[in-house]
Amino acid sequence: MSPPPGVRVAGDSHVGKVRTANEDSLVVDAARGLYAVLDGMGGASAGDLASQTARDAIVDFVVQRRLTMEPRALLEAAIQAGCTAVWNCAQLSRERHGMGTTVVACLLIDATRAVIGHVGDSRAYLLRGGRLQALTRDHTIVEELVDRGLLSPEEAERHPYKNVLSRNLGAKPDTKVDLLDVELRPGDRLLLCSDGLYGYASTEAIQYLLGSGDAPNQVARDLIDLALRGGGGDNVSTLVIEAPPAAPSSTQVVRTSGAVAWWQLRQRFMHVAREGGLADNPICRGLDPEEALDLVGLSLCEAIFHDLEKSTGVNVWTFAQNLAGGWFARSGEWAPLRALMDILVRAARTVVDEIRTLEPSLGFLLDVAVSRALVVAELAIGGLLAERLREVDSDLIQLHAAVMDTIDQPSLDSDDTPKFVDSPTIPFLRPDRPVTNSGINAELVSAIEKTLTIARARTSPRAELLRQILVALETIATDTSGNFASAVLAARELYGVRSVDDAGIMPLFDALDQARIITAASVHQITATDALRAKTLGAISAAHQRLVSAMTGLVLEAVAPFSERLREVQAETVALRDRVAHAEGKRAQLERKFATTIDQSQPWEQRGTTESEW
Amino acid sequence: MSDVDLIEATKVLRDEVLDTAEHGDRDPPGAEVFDALIRALEVGGESVPGLDLQLHDGITRRLAWGDSEEAVLADAEMVFDRLMIAIERALRDPADRMVLIEAATQVAVTVARVVSLAAVARAARDRAARLREELAQRQLKEVLERQRSSIVRLELETKGSLP
Repeated sequence: MSPPPGVRVAGDSHVGKVRTANEDSLVVDAARGLYAVLDGMGGASAGDLASQTARDAIVDFVVQRRLTMEPRALLEAAIQAGCTAVWNCAQLSRERHGMGTTVVACLLIDATRAVIGHVGDSRAYLLRGGRLQALTRDHTIVEELVDRGLLSPEEAERHPYKNVLSRNLGAKPDTKVDLLDVELRPGDRLLLCSDGLYGYASTEAIQYLLGSGDAPNQVARDLIDLALRGGGGDNVSTLVIEAPPAAPSSTQVVRTSGAVAWWQLRQRFMHVAREGGLADNPICRGLDPEEALDLVGLSLCEAIFHDLEKSTGVNVWTFAQNLAGGWFARSGEWAPLRALMDILVRAARTVVDEIRTLEPSLGFLLDVAVSRALVVAELAIGGLLAERLREVDSDLIQLHAAVMDTIDQPSLDSDDTPKFVDSPTIPFLRPDRPVTNSGINAELVSAIEKTLTIARARTSPRAELLRQILVALETIATDTSGNFASAVLAARELYGVRSVDDAGIMPLFDALDQARIITAASVHQITATDALRAKTLGAISAAHQRLVSAMTGLVLEAVAPFSERLREVQAETVALRDRVAHAEGKRAQLERKFATTIDQSQPWEQRGTTESEW
Repeated sequence: MSDVDLIEATKVLRDEVLDTAEHGDRDPPGAEVFDALIRALEVGGESVPGLDLQLHDGITRRLAWGDSEEAVLADAEMVFDRLMIAIERALRDPADRMVLIEAATQVAVTVARVVSLAAVARAARDRAARLREELAQRQLKEVLERQRSSIVRLELETKGSLP
């Protein structure tokens, strides 16, 4: 078994602030993928002897048997060997009686698989996607009582024997080992630690440090510092194992290798552009050929490079707008611009094809990215053409109005045929109608974003609901559609599933209130004029109001079924009362009939004296 | 902040925001919201959210008189929207505008909170009433059952007694 590539491991151990000797031991054997934390116990130096004896026995066993046993059985047997070794050692001297050690060990099979084995209360944690989860359960008497249902978790927390182990290595010649197969994902982190860490540091703090993104050696040290700051009442040992990160995404490949490969072939791009006759194009008339190549060819090449690097299209867009805008401003015609673009596109394609020949997968990704850049350029030119058409349309309308003013056409007033201005060619080219909704301007959007970024930075990471509300406010406040549909969508997402009572609903309104207070404070911190600040606050407050209304709407929606159900039940009750009344009537009628029948069966002189028994 | 007395300046906007001309002598819809806004400005600074008892009373009174929660909420929305437009026009100093916007937002959230509380309380009452109805139904069903057995018995007795 060789160390899995890309896996990073680091461990550290500290005696703590109270103890005089460190009874913990670590195993960091990258060659065999074996990592372990052992926490020894027993007086008169027996604790460190126990953990060291077990450590050596486990490592020796794995070294000898690793080629002949499958990993799960290997780890279990190795830990058993450690147990036997400690037991044998304890039998040699009376002073060592009762010594033992915990162990939590990890055997890495490859970069994606591991086996965890443990005995005692040393723990293994897994950090995945920023969340920490415990992989092991402590082998303590109290935990076992909880498992059997004899104690509740709350009682266990307060139990005086909560630290008394039910299993360890060395108390008996052999022990039961708990084993767990773990599938590792890219970026996962495993933490093996002794009780000196989790006994003196909160799970949240451990999660924060483990997920900090620092290198494993730094994290291992930071975790120890954390336990020491928490009191450091015990030896503390930490071991961090980090799975290799995910392969770079196609975007990352384009941003790094793709951009570099493109830039390295810029001379080839220029050559093809020169051969294609770029310098002879009417747009470049008056320029020296090399100057034309630099101004047009190299600029586009550079714009594509920067856009590849940043995964945007802004540079190419600007290039195309400048080129086409300048040409149209000189009343240039469309054909030369098209011809110039064709030359540049051909040059770009040649470069991409050459990269594709050398590195097919990179060439494919680059082909897509460069094609996108060229489409962006075409779109920018298309936008300018549309603008030009609109101007022409506007000129025509003015011309038509001028003609109408100068020609006396009384008969046309009564004519039902629509006038030219009333039937424009393309709706969005009408001068009296904006192409898009003007909405809010970019400056205001930027101020809103800045305010809410500051607001989010001021919230606690644990106030998840509040952060969600701030994100929702940004979406609603920058929504240019103006119909606030985003407020309803955001409210639904925030509302989620809740009980219809004070406890379910009020946290929402508390968080909305907090969001209001935080945004009102944050707006004063942005760098802007007072007028812009007021506008920003107005926009966010409007968004806030819509969100709150939408949320209340959802509450009303949630309570509506209660009233409906009540009405249904009331209707059922009325129907039931009717049936009871009807049955009562029928019963009375039968009773009278029965009395009459009995009465008539009596002799004449006794009639009229019969009384119903009902 | 300017020298303008913001509370007085806001009170001037009352007719415009509440459209009082449309409603004669009666209190226009949303009056309780506007009054709460004035109180929020008078208190100044940050008050404890949701602790405007007069606003609670105002909304509860409207609900008790038969206005729906939706109507109360819609009126509050209307007041807020009109106020935003009026602020833009009437107040020159951005600092004054911000104070008023903050107060208006606070009132809007409080109205929503009170309306939601009222709705949740109504749901709890409806739930309790439904339980009472279901209990009554159970008793009625028992009565009905007894009546049925009486009817059956009476029918049999009557038939048996016929000569």
